[in-house]
Amino acid sequence: MNVRRAGTIYVKELVDILRDHRTLTAMIVAPIILYPLLMLGGIQAASTQSKGIEDEKITVGFEHEWQWERVIKPMLVEERRIIERMRSRAVAKEVADEIPEPLGEHVVPKWIGNIEDGVLQHLVHCGVSLPDSAEDEGANAIFTAVTIVVQSDEVRSQIAGKRLAQALERVGLDRRDKSLRRLRVDPRLIDPIGIEYKRLATPGSVLGLILPFILVLMTVTGAIYPAIDLTAGERERGTLESLMVCPVPTIDLIVGKFMAVTTIALIAAALNIASVTATVMFGGLQDVLARDASGESHGFPYWALPVVLFTLVPFAVLMSAIMIAVCAFARTFKEAQNYIMPVIMLVLVPGGIAALPGTKLEGVMIVMPVANMVLLTRELLSGVSIAGATFATVLVSTSFYAAVAVAIAAQVFGKESVLFADSVSFRTLISRRLIRPRRFPSLSGAGLYAAVLFPFWFYVQSAMQSAGEDSTVSVLRWTAIWMPVFFVFVPLAIALYWKLDVGDTFRLGPFRARAIVGAVLLGLTAWVPAHELVVLQDWLVPTPAGLADSNKALAAALASMSPVLAFCVIALVPALCEEFFFRGFLLSGLRTSFGKWAAILCGAAAFGAFHYFIFRFPVTASLGVLLGWVCWQSRSIWPAVVVHALHNGTAVLLAVRPSIASWMGLPESETATHLPMHVVLPAIAVLGLGILLLRSIPDSATE
Amino acid sequence: MRPHHYNGACMDMIVIDKLRKVFPTPDGRDKVAVDGVSFSVPQGRIYGLLGPNGAGKTTTLRILSGLMKPTSGRAVLDGHDVGVDREAVKRVIGFLTANTGLYQRLSARDILRYFGKLHGFSHKRAVARAEELIGWLGIGDFADLRCGVLSTGQKQRVNIGRALVADPPILILDEPTLGLDVLSNRVILDFICRERNEGKTIILSTHYLDEAETMCDVVGLLHNGNIVAEGTVDELRKLTGVERLSGIFLKLIHADDPAGKMQG
Repeated sequence: MNVRRAGTIYVKELVDILRDHRTLTAMIVAPIILYPLLMLGGIQAASTQSKGIEDEKITVGFEHEWQWERVIKPMLVEERRIIERMRSRAVAKEVADEIPEPLGEHVVPKWIGNIEDGVLQHLVHCGVSLPDSAEDEGANAIFTAVTIVVQSDEVRSQIAGKRLAQALERVGLDRRDKSLRRLRVDPRLIDPIGIEYKRLATPGSVLGLILPFILVLMTVTGAIYPAIDLTAGERERGTLESLMVCPVPTIDLIVGKFMAVTTIALIAAALNIASVTATVMFGGLQDVLARDASGESHGFPYWALPVVLFTLVPFAVLMSAIMIAVCAFARTFKEAQNYIMPVIMLVLVPGGIAALPGTKLEGVMIVMPVANMVLLTRELLSGVSIAGATFATVLVSTSFYAAVAVAIAAQVFGKESVLFADSVSFRTLISRRLIRPRRFPSLSGAGLYAAVLFPFWFYVQSAMQSAGEDSTVSVLRWTAIWMPVFFVFVPLAIALYWKLDVGDTFRLGPFRARAIVGAVLLGLTAWVPAHELVVLQDWLVPTPAGLADSNKALAAALASMSPVLAFCVIALVPALCEEFFFRGFLLSGLRTSFGKWAAILCGAAAFGAFHYFIFRFPVTASLGVLLGWVCWQSRSIWPAVVVHALHNGTAVLLAVRPSIASWMGLPESETATHLPMHVVLPAIAVLGLGILLLRSIPDSATE
Repeated sequence: MRPHHYNGACMDMIVIDKLRKVFPTPDGRDKVAVDGVSFSVPQGRIYGLLGPNGAGKTTTLRILSGLMKPTSGRAVLDGHDVGVDREAVKRVIGFLTANTGLYQRLSARDILRYFGKLHGFSHKRAVARAEELIGWLGIGDFADLRCGVLSTGQKQRVNIGRALVADPPILILDEPTLGLDVLSNRVILDFICRERNEGKTIILSTHYLDEAETMCDVVGLLHNGNIVAEGTVDELRKLTGVERLSGIFLKLIHADDPAGKMQG
């Protein structure tokens, strides 16, 4: 890729889009008007609405006038006196504020023939019926049975009934206490356990629940118009052909274009965030919005807004690339709009799931596209502190999906069947008859499978972890069983369907003798620099205690297995499967679009990411670089399999046979201790020899 | 004009050999758009590619301009094979059709600079080349207006500038006058003559026969993906004994298609 040329395209596309008033409207006017309208208007409307129901007069139906005049009305007069007394006794202002209004003047009595019909026909909010005996006894009877009739599927009726009941109960309790005191009995004897609710909630602000989804939605919305304009729009206006006859590789075109779309999406997101901030600050909504479910305010986390904007960057890249890939199929603006709506729906489903209250940023949600972004934003806005590893995992996984989406967009955009066909359908891309045999998988094909496998494999692993009884051992066994399925058989099936050359794709070809000798030397010694890297990393960023524990559990599990089985599950099977997939399938896809080192580094980053543990990423990715290089030099995965198996095998051996470790004079504690020089120096020498051997293999002309 | 050296005696700027393009379709039947076309064009000549709609002109020209890969056969332009290095081919050609659009929201000046940069020019060189073309094509009066407001003739000039930005030795013109009014048509035809005088090699596809007659050194009649006759217009007259090119054309096509079911 030529950065300068992609930059030229980026600048031109940005100027082009920004000169379009439709983009500007969607990007600037919408957020500026939307938020004040949505937040100020919506919240105020909601609060006045519920306040209105609480304050409004209630009509109560009676069958006879005496029921109101002789019984209920005197009771409500009594309630007023009780409340006035409570007020006069309240010391603190806060306590006085919580004392309710007397109900008396809010009640409008109404006489109707049948109470139940009256309530159901909405003639009254609720109805009251009393036994006939109450007519003689009046309001001061020893006991009065009051039946309140409400319509249970009518909010107003329910609230009216509840307000009436509370007022009458207050009178009843007051009378009870008075009677008891007259009898010199402590009222608490009647109610020995006093229960009071104190409603706490996870500190999630109201804003934290709605805003993330809106932000994600607005970022997507911001990208739609430019994505269509730069692809289908360009084709519709006849400019695509003149662009494609320029000596510019498709990847430059697509990178320039999707960078422009991403920029617009991010500007839209930034404007949305700014508009939210302004509305909250100047609208005096800090307290209303930053409340949790118990009504307590936590203060609005302004500091989180720039962090949120930063986390939206890879998300905007991902969405822009997906939309460009989809719109590239369309010949007209209208067609593109038709294509894009279902895609947006599909993408927003995980976002919607994540927006449900109670969903947490944990487990597979951390690597679930869109959902992880919604949840991360929510936690940031709720002021919850997020583990750095989780934060990094969300960003890394989203960036990974984004990279794959970009590769797919480039692939689709450059296809001549997509560029020129009169009627393109998605079928032309997957119909096997139309697939030409090829040596290697395309970058987008290999990347797409990796992107699908990434959250899926995480899910499989967590499922195994939660299902296993003797956790570590059973996870190791099940991993060894499932790994061949997803890392060998599925890629193999894909390669066969896509008519790929299996030998070339998976690099199953022959290798030179010195490649295998070099591989053995590297495999036996690579753990030394790997260990030193862990020590260095631990010195820079201390590793959390959980990792050391899981390492111990792993060592214990390995020691409890038979050595052969341990070697199989931790060394042989992972070495075969991972090499087959990462150094075979994925690296072959990468080599079609990248140079040697870019391909090796990207493959290594994916290899590191697939270990799903951010603290292990540096060491696994470094190992990935070594393995990728070994495969590239030897033009075969088998030497890399040897390195991988020996490397893991050494770890097994040292864990299972501590005597060997002590014989070598290795330090007892596993982490954060440098290895002794009598181990490091020979290991480096042997490692160097292995590298020299592999380096000496001449570059083949066909590569 | 820079000199061109080739291996052997071939001085042809464009050599096309048994070019074939098959479009697979999902319903299982392959559509053969170009069926073994061969011809060559010496430097400084205009080759006219004539044929009815659907004869395969556009597909042939798209392959020549590196937009499509041929299914089989070879096409070599200025020494670069389209099957091997499409980017190198794109560097030596200028491509223009009547449908080529311009970016509505950019000015002519912006567009010329942009395409210069896409051809790998530095900013300075792209600016200089744009000014050169603006002066030369008489775009100066409207160079800073957005292309959306330009007339068709003005747009055509900008488009010509776009195709010429890298001063390519070969021009590929796919029905450049289709649907244009007389004035815009004139702009294009003048441009073609001027470029020929500059020594450029041009392939011009058209189905306006009079245009081919006045402009082309050699014409090839394309029918059903194949060249049915090739030569100067005079040679074709002698071959068929018909005076007008349209007559020659019909006669040759009917000879090729005895049932006479040819449409359009």
